[in-house]
Amino acid sequence: MTASAPRRRARTRRFEVEGLTRVEGEGSLRIVIRDGEVIEAQLGIFEAPRYFERLVRGRTPDEVLDIVARICGICPVAYQMSAVHAFEDGVGIEIDPAVRALRRLLYCGEWIESHALHVYFLHAPDFMGYASAIELARDHRVLVERALALKKAGNHLVALIGGRPIHPVSVRVGGFYHTPTRAELTALRPELTAALDIALETVAVTTELNTPDFSREPRLVSLRHPTDYPMNEGRIVSTDGLDLAPTDWERAFAEDQVGWSNALQARTHAGDVYLLGPSSRITLAGDKLHPRAAEALAQSGLADEIRRNPFRSIVARAIELVHATAVAIDIIDDYRPPERPATPWNPGPGTAAWATEAPRGLLFHTYELDEEGRVATARIVPPTSQNQAAIEADLTDFAPSVLGLPHDEATHRFEQLIRSYDPCISCATHFLDLRVEDRR
Amino acid sequence: MAQAIASTNVPRWLPADQLDRLIDVLRADGRTIIGPTVRDGAIVLAEIQGAADLPAGRGDEASPGRYRVTQREDSRRFDHAVGPMSPKRWTFPPRAPIRLGRRTSAGVRFSGVDPRPTPRPTPLAFIGVRACELAAIKIQDHVFLDGPAVDGDYRARRASAFLVAVECATPTSTCFCTSMGTGPEVTTGFDVVLTELDDGFIVRVGSPAGVTVVDALSLSPADGSAMKAAEAVVAGARDAMGSPMNMENVHEGLQASPEHPGWAAVAERCLSCTNCTLVCPTCFCTSVVERSDLDGSISTSERTWDSCFNEGFAKVAGGSFRPLVKDRYRQWLTHKFSTWWDQFGSSGCVGCGRCIAWCPAGIDVREELAVIGGVGPVPMPQLSVVAAATEAPVTISPGSVPAAFVTVHVDGSSRETADTMTLHLNTTDRRLLAGRPGQFVMATLPAFSAAPISISRFRSDGLDLTIRAAGPATRALTELERGSTLGVRGPLGRGWPVEEMTGRDVVIVAGGVGLAPLRPLIDACLAERDALGAVRIYLGARTPTDRLFVEEVGRLALRMDIEVEETVDRAGPVWLGRVGIVTQLFDHATWDGRNAVAFVCGPERMMQATSEVLFSRGIDVDRTWVTLERNMSCGVGLCGHCQLGKFFVCKDGPVFSLAELGPAFTTDGL
Amino acid sequence: MSPTARRSGRRRPRVGVVKFASCDGCQLTLLDLEDDLLAIAERFDIVEFPEATSRRSAGPFDVLLVEGSISTEEQLEELLRLRRESTTLVTIGACATAGGIQALRNWSEHGPWAATVYPRPELIESLAMATPVADHVTVDAELRGCPIDPQQLLELLTALVVGRRPQLPDESVCAECKRRGATCVVVSQGTACLGPVTRTGCGALCPVYGRGCYGCFGPRNDANVVSLIANTAGLDDSVASTRLAGFTAWAEPFRSVIDDHGGPPGAKP
Repeated sequence: MTASAPRRRARTRRFEVEGLTRVEGEGSLRIVIRDGEVIEAQLGIFEAPRYFERLVRGRTPDEVLDIVARICGICPVAYQMSAVHAFEDGVGIEIDPAVRALRRLLYCGEWIESHALHVYFLHAPDFMGYASAIELARDHRVLVERALALKKAGNHLVALIGGRPIHPVSVRVGGFYHTPTRAELTALRPELTAALDIALETVAVTTELNTPDFSREPRLVSLRHPTDYPMNEGRIVSTDGLDLAPTDWERAFAEDQVGWSNALQARTHAGDVYLLGPSSRITLAGDKLHPRAAEALAQSGLADEIRRNPFRSIVARAIELVHATAVAIDIIDDYRPPERPATPWNPGPGTAAWATEAPRGLLFHTYELDEEGRVATARIVPPTSQNQAAIEADLTDFAPSVLGLPHDEATHRFEQLIRSYDPCISCATHFLDLRVEDRR
Repeated sequence: MAQAIASTNVPRWLPADQLDRLIDVLRADGRTIIGPTVRDGAIVLAEIQGAADLPAGRGDEASPGRYRVTQREDSRRFDHAVGPMSPKRWTFPPRAPIRLGRRTSAGVRFSGVDPRPTPRPTPLAFIGVRACELAAIKIQDHVFLDGPAVDGDYRARRASAFLVAVECATPTSTCFCTSMGTGPEVTTGFDVVLTELDDGFIVRVGSPAGVTVVDALSLSPADGSAMKAAEAVVAGARDAMGSPMNMENVHEGLQASPEHPGWAAVAERCLSCTNCTLVCPTCFCTSVVERSDLDGSISTSERTWDSCFNEGFAKVAGGSFRPLVKDRYRQWLTHKFSTWWDQFGSSGCVGCGRCIAWCPAGIDVREELAVIGGVGPVPMPQLSVVAAATEAPVTISPGSVPAAFVTVHVDGSSRETADTMTLHLNTTDRRLLAGRPGQFVMATLPAFSAAPISISRFRSDGLDLTIRAAGPATRALTELERGSTLGVRGPLGRGWPVEEMTGRDVVIVAGGVGLAPLRPLIDACLAERDALGAVRIYLGARTPTDRLFVEEVGRLALRMDIEVEETVDRAGPVWLGRVGIVTQLFDHATWDGRNAVAFVCGPERMMQATSEVLFSRGIDVDRTWVTLERNMSCGVGLCGHCQLGKFFVCKDGPVFSLAELGPAFTTDGL
Repeated sequence: MSPTARRSGRRRPRVGVVKFASCDGCQLTLLDLEDDLLAIAERFDIVEFPEATSRRSAGPFDVLLVEGSISTEEQLEELLRLRRESTTLVTIGACATAGGIQALRNWSEHGPWAATVYPRPELIESLAMATPVADHVTVDAELRGCPIDPQQLLELLTALVVGRRPQLPDESVCAECKRRGATCVVVSQGTACLGPVTRTGCGALCPVYGRGCYGCFGPRNDANVVSLIANTAGLDDSVASTRLAGFTAWAEPFRSVIDDHGGPPGAKP
């Protein structure tokens, strides 16, 4: 990371960073501080726009599933899941329980892959003082090898069900094009059992990390399901009492465009910021965690800190790694292939909307279908554009506590804070260009 | 043996519900059972556990570009024709590792042979094999086992295979085995054959192994009414296919029609997608893929199914010699129905119809044969698929072919031109040392593909290879220094007919790097100088710096008993010799070629032009010999890459007389 | 000493991994080579890879892997700079090699499109078209696919180290479909499939999973799209432009055939 010296010595102490690294995509951050007071904190998203909402127009629901996956190479399954549930809800298709289980398993694979990537490759180097996991491996080879094994287990799950780890091809409206045999899934069990051990170890490792002191009372939003930890289904709930159907996101939230971003920022209708992701899910649905994950959470003793301190999200991801791995093993043990891979359905007009929990948080899709059942309009609200305003608010709150630090260290703390939300700027659209200015 | 079969070959009766007994006996021998089963909308071949996996009550229908599994009224298990797969998938798998290359402190090492016999493949039993498939197996047996080079991998897999054939009852519209003389009756090449009736099977044996298996079942003889019903099954299948096509003229017809407009017409529809070749039960073309670790210190050479429809299949340094889809379609159809006869003494087609059904564009070879090959609708006498060919196969190969790469040491190297080096190799390998002028070797380094390289000199303790860096693999070879090692397999192919020189004048014409394979021939001329007439050597090169073996050629030119003439296409300021293309060297020559034999090597255009000049000087086409460059890969006629008309350049050549080549020498895209 | 041994004695090649308009999936494929990643990091000096490391370099690069299509003026300038800094420039994935899914907007006027996504399109900086890297600079090698295939990436890196030509055959998806023993979905189900005209590399994934190929790896050299539409089941003039208008739509001959069939679905505002 290169950081330039302050430009104006007299009144302004300025920090500039050309590009933020170890995030997915490209964005910028600008903090203006005058006389010790933060007057501006902007997380800009300058990833070149790709116009997905426009690209899906005129397409059939099944084509949409392939297209929206391309929004993000890290969480393509999330996009397929929100879209496929939206269409199935909109058209009124009942899916086979075995299909439901298989979709959760597919999603578990993505959670494992995405969280393992974030914990070890994007975030842990901040806490441990390395530029990358590759450099980390020079001193902690076994740790990184085990991280790779964990990530690989997730990728193997997605690849077995979806054909390949990135942009899988098996999901279709009504079910799947192809479902694995029981034997194929069972063959993954030893790898997942080993992955569960690594996930538990990850909780221990992340719990011990030296974490910056920061506390606030955020508004958290996630899905909540009566029996399962939130993933494909559930109602939208929040720490301030929201309770909505997953189709009704627009009743509580709205997107707006700001000049410093190629993504749209979402806020509540009252204009309040809110935060999604692992910390929100653990806070709002921690009672539904798999017993292995619940036990790990209890042992860490960090449930409350996970809610209050964003730097603890790395622990929340570790807990969810345990959860996703343990749930995957359970699903495999109970798996029976569906009678038929997909329920037949007839295309037609209607409104389709749904929200699922992407690794980074709630992902909402809504589509208007025309008379032929093709997409007329679409809205896709990824978690990062919902988190954007809350991240800016947290940066504002956090800034005073680091202004006393040396320039590079303060800059690093800002970056570390941004990474703790695992922003997926490719999703939100992308280029993070971090500038901290202190105008006195 | 025949006696034993005959005495036990009373047709037996296997009740329908006891088919598993047969399968159990085969499994008891440790065999994996491969049989038809319904999967992904087709009756495919797969490992089956028992009779329950067979497609009971299912049939199939096929037409050009279309195939569907159907539901039948009865519950017979074999009342279908052939699906997309054939036993080839197991006897000749799509991918097979054939060689391991390693770099060690002691030099490069290659283990396994090429092709390598797989140690003890799982023994197989195929159930439900049709007459056309038995014919296909016989054809592949002939290709892989009866030539000078034997494919060890195939041999091992094939030797273990037990064949339970089934008489065809319901051919589809794409079947034409009656036209190819391969069916529908099962007559030969099986261990056991079943004829399926509603309540059971007539069981007959065709081999000692079949006798053993059937004896173990203790079946009672089939009764007369069942036998009668069985005959009706086969007769019904034959009738269903209608009149056979008249294939009488196809062998000559296709080879006589390289410029037929039908090729361009079919190329407009052809997707060059390779489906026809990969579903064909006899197609055997392969390529070798190198997979190595990041250091290139360990590499596995893997043989994979390839296809003459791929552009890259016929690629050499200068481009593809079958650049157009029409060239490739012509290659495939002509090979399958015509030149296969010349090469292997049979047709390459068994009439299974897979290439018709599984062509996504629905191209029907029967129609193309009618348009281009002169195939008529009139019935003709049956051809036996592996009957003796009308003429002997063209194979002119040494009796045994070296199959393994041996490690040889580089004793030194000489730079010839900017991109060409001569490696001086030391070896004690007797076979290599006993090579003939004009033969070549395959040379390789771990992680690189093997390249055909001309032998440019034989010495008592080794040989020289002259290599032009045309790509990364040949470049890596030219960079080898004294003390390093490489893998060499050979000598391969047919060399120059040295004996033809005795008592004749000798004319040698080389263009550029083409002098390399001619140098051992010049050495032979010198050794036998007294037995020869005049010896004239004509050398051309693009520029003075592109000339090979400059000092040596200078010494030759000083000899009184040899005439040497040189020219370059383009000269620099220091060149005092002739300028012009090589054929211009003949402009002022006065000799008469009626008692001469000529040897030519260079770019193909240069060889064509030269051969015309030589002919005008009285050297007939059976006395002009050329050596061809094709993309030789296996070097022993088993991979199909270097086919030129009816020839495999690697084993039938690379040296040919113009008389042998005929129009193949000048037809574009062949 | 062998050429490879000599090469290995040299300094490690400096590698950069950068992206333009894309989803990050192709560069993620490098991190998905879990079994080989640490060995690759030992063989190559990864000096620029913002997604994975905070260490930065502006160049020079022995090998630069470029993901994404060129969609903004800034990206174009940056690409030209990177080309000057790079000895070997390799494009990775459908966006970089063919424009990607976002190239579908090239059939439409940009302004109205932006207005359908953004309430204030005037704030968006974007070129009129999303174009492949090779439209702007010389490309030394390309890996096709949406996303690229991990084994092809490993093959490319290995070939770079060893000094041989990477084995990336230009054959149809069908060839791999047949080797894998999958059943042709065109012939057995009448399903539209681009396999015959699409380059292999994915392992015939979609047919193996029972669906038709949608062309991730783009057209192969001999792609006979006209015959595919005229002669194969499931695909006819009415669905041709939709089927071809995928992740490699902007690559010829797909692009011309889409033009001939009235452009991709939803092209008109």
